[in-house]
Amino acid sequence: MSITLVSFFIIFFFFLIVIESVRRGILETKYSILWIIVCIVLGVMSLATDFLEQMAYLLGVVYAPSLLFLFGLIASLILIFDLTRRISNLNSRLIALTQEYALFREESNKEMTKQEKENEQ
Amino acid sequence: MKFPADQNILIIVPAYNEEKSISSTLSQLSEIKEELPVIDVCVINDGSKDNTSKIVKQYPDVILIDLPLNLGIGGAVQTGYKYAHRHGYSIAIQFDADGQHSAEDLTKLIQPIMDGEADMVIGSRFVQKTSYKGSLARRIGIYYFYLILKALTKQSFTDPTSGYRAKNANVIKLFANHYPKDYPEPEVLIQLYKKGFKSKEVTVNMNDRQEGESSITPLKTIYYMGKVTLAIFMQKIVRSKTI
Repeated sequence: MSITLVSFFIIFFFFLIVIESVRRGILETKYSILWIIVCIVLGVMSLATDFLEQMAYLLGVVYAPSLLFLFGLIASLILIFDLTRRISNLNSRLIALTQEYALFREESNKEMTKQEKENEQ
Repeated sequence: MKFPADQNILIIVPAYNEEKSISSTLSQLSEIKEELPVIDVCVINDGSKDNTSKIVKQYPDVILIDLPLNLGIGGAVQTGYKYAHRHGYSIAIQFDADGQHSAEDLTKLIQPIMDGEADMVIGSRFVQKTSYKGSLARRIGIYYFYLILKALTKQSFTDPTSGYRAKNANVIKLFANHYPKDYPEPEVLIQLYKKGFKSKEVTVNMNDRQEGESSITPLKTIYYMGKVTLAIFMQKIVRSKTI
């Protein structure tokens, strides 16, 4: 079995995991989009041997399937970058939420002390 | 010093594991509050693991905001600005819990804002000679930031890492919405410059830290300076949002 076929099966298997994760609700649909695109692009490329050979020739790459690794690496970088952006976003939200919670609690503590005083009187 | 009745001032004290020094800081501020009743003191307990929160509760006049998690200095101080903005304070002052800042200088910081001379007043150790010594490494670091900020803003900030600052209501509003998280003190200078706010420095005395560890240890200085430099340049290119 050639490397292109092996690559295709690995990617296809991964694609199934992505779809199954969405189906089970483990992965949110909007976050799955990038994964699905990456799987389709890499899957098609690993099967399109002629296209890969031609690209390799143009880029001066001796062993064509190594281009698959290059694209795989680029895709990984894009996915990781996307993740860091989402983490930054989550972090700002968490900070805002924590601040709101603390401010709200201060407010309610103040109310409670006020009521306690009123009850005493 | 006399205050118009419509002025109210909030002193924001961010505190993280400051059980040893917080009570002397609060006693100092309470004395000032007796003289100037327009002042409110607000402690932001940034998820301390020690008794900071308990100690603050012994001061009934002090507003205590307990953050359930440690947000870091930027997130903690911003909580104070949010509080100040929502309760309509006209001036907010950041005041360190570790005993570095002296409450006697408060009026010096407030005066230029009352006179409308500046939107933010920075308490600096280096405008005139003061008793502050500090390590050589720290002074070199401060000079380095002075040069960078001078190049980026064409203004002189002799003490860009000083956290002892007073702000007016416009700056409070800006900070309540956008406040740099990583190294707020130097980054804010760029932020305000870009927005067209006026900053001014006044001389204050600072004590060497009484208790607790500085957030910047000498070993980490170089690493810290690299990160802050990056943060400053990033702040310069960051898109300014309109509020």
